[in-house]
Amino acid sequence: MKHLPKHLQPRWRYLAVGIEAWPDADLDRGSFQRDLWYAAQNLYGDAGSAETDLTVLAFHFGDGDGETIVRAHRGTEDRARAAVAALDRVDGHPVGLRVRGISGTVRACEERYLNGRTGNGEQRDVVFETESSPAVVRGDRVDVDLGDGFAGATRLDFE
Amino acid sequence: MYEAVHAHPDGQSTAARFAATADRYGYDGVVVRADDARPDYGSLRDSLAVDVVDAAEIVAEDPQHASGAVGNARTKHTVVIVAGGTNALNRFAVEQARVDVLARPFEGSNGGTDGGNGGRTARNGSADGDVNHVLAKAARDNDVRIEVNLGPVLRSRGGTRVRHLTKLRKLKRILDHYDAPYVVSANPTSHLELRAPREVAAVGEEIGLGREWTREGLDEWGRLVARNRERLSESFIAPGVERGRYEEDD
Repeated sequence: MKHLPKHLQPRWRYLAVGIEAWPDADLDRGSFQRDLWYAAQNLYGDAGSAETDLTVLAFHFGDGDGETIVRAHRGTEDRARAAVAALDRVDGHPVGLRVRGISGTVRACEERYLNGRTGNGEQRDVVFETESSPAVVRGDRVDVDLGDGFAGATRLDFE
Repeated sequence: MYEAVHAHPDGQSTAARFAATADRYGYDGVVVRADDARPDYGSLRDSLAVDVVDAAEIVAEDPQHASGAVGNARTKHTVVIVAGGTNALNRFAVEQARVDVLARPFEGSNGGTDGGNGGRTARNGSADGDVNHVLAKAARDNDVRIEVNLGPVLRSRGGTRVRHLTKLRKLKRILDHYDAPYVVSANPTSHLELRAPREVAAVGEEIGLGREWTREGLDEWGRLVARNRERLSESFIAPGVERGRYEEDD
């Protein structure tokens, strides 16, 4: 099919979204896209979802850390931002999402806001609340495995 | 802009982790709603770029139990928060000038889908508390901020969320009409539930609270903290009366 003349082509904005989750979370593009659609639909309904037309493009995730690009129609960036904020779990895994920035092209979005560093967690045992527990250490961030869930901490908590 | 958080063991992340995340998200600091949490505020403030405010959140069954705790907490903590949830507790909180914030007037203990501290009290997010014009006027007169809890908006679905949104819209109308003070918070129990100020404002706009109105609520925490710190400082005697050097007249 012949594509549209340039002035009729849709204008997009690309949201760089940082993803954080517990180390045992296992997410992929499909589940993120599905739950983002549900979040948008629950927040502003079918009509609003069609208006923003949220699409997940690049998706990188590993060991509880990730980043992705979400495409939205130009002019609906704030509605897209609200949908991203209202997405609290993907596939049942709690996620912390943050819009790092918005660009007009995928390339600018990648160059400016994505750094491609995912999944550099290091396993270690730490003493948390007087008990030794396994933990995943990423920079200053320490996720302690308490058996029935994780606790988020930083290096400061072990000094 | 500040966010008021439930730190470990009330929530799942430590105060330090909340502060580190808030720093990345562009907050000026976090208010730690300590119920059981006892972080070391001095060392946290020294080693982090953002402010960490010691607050006490009083979760009680009824006004009689809350009353003693308020008196104890007032002298020890910068900010005193009373968790509402029943009409009696809401009324108690707004009629006490010693209280800074009435938290979660509709749902009481931190409800929603997380269950971070659910089951700790009998009321788990489905309380029958309400806010009306009488409470709003009392809150304005006693300078008690009523919390606009965005937690269920961000983390629950379906009927629960719809009912909560209806209550928030009504609350905004009442607050605006009586010019009562308010604060906005997402009540995060882990650093994953924290959302950046722009995201919170975008959600506020989407659900009919208004972007600026929501931001004002986040800013109000900062003003509250600054005012209480000034009052706790040694030179403070009464509003407008301070001990110290005379101001130079030019």
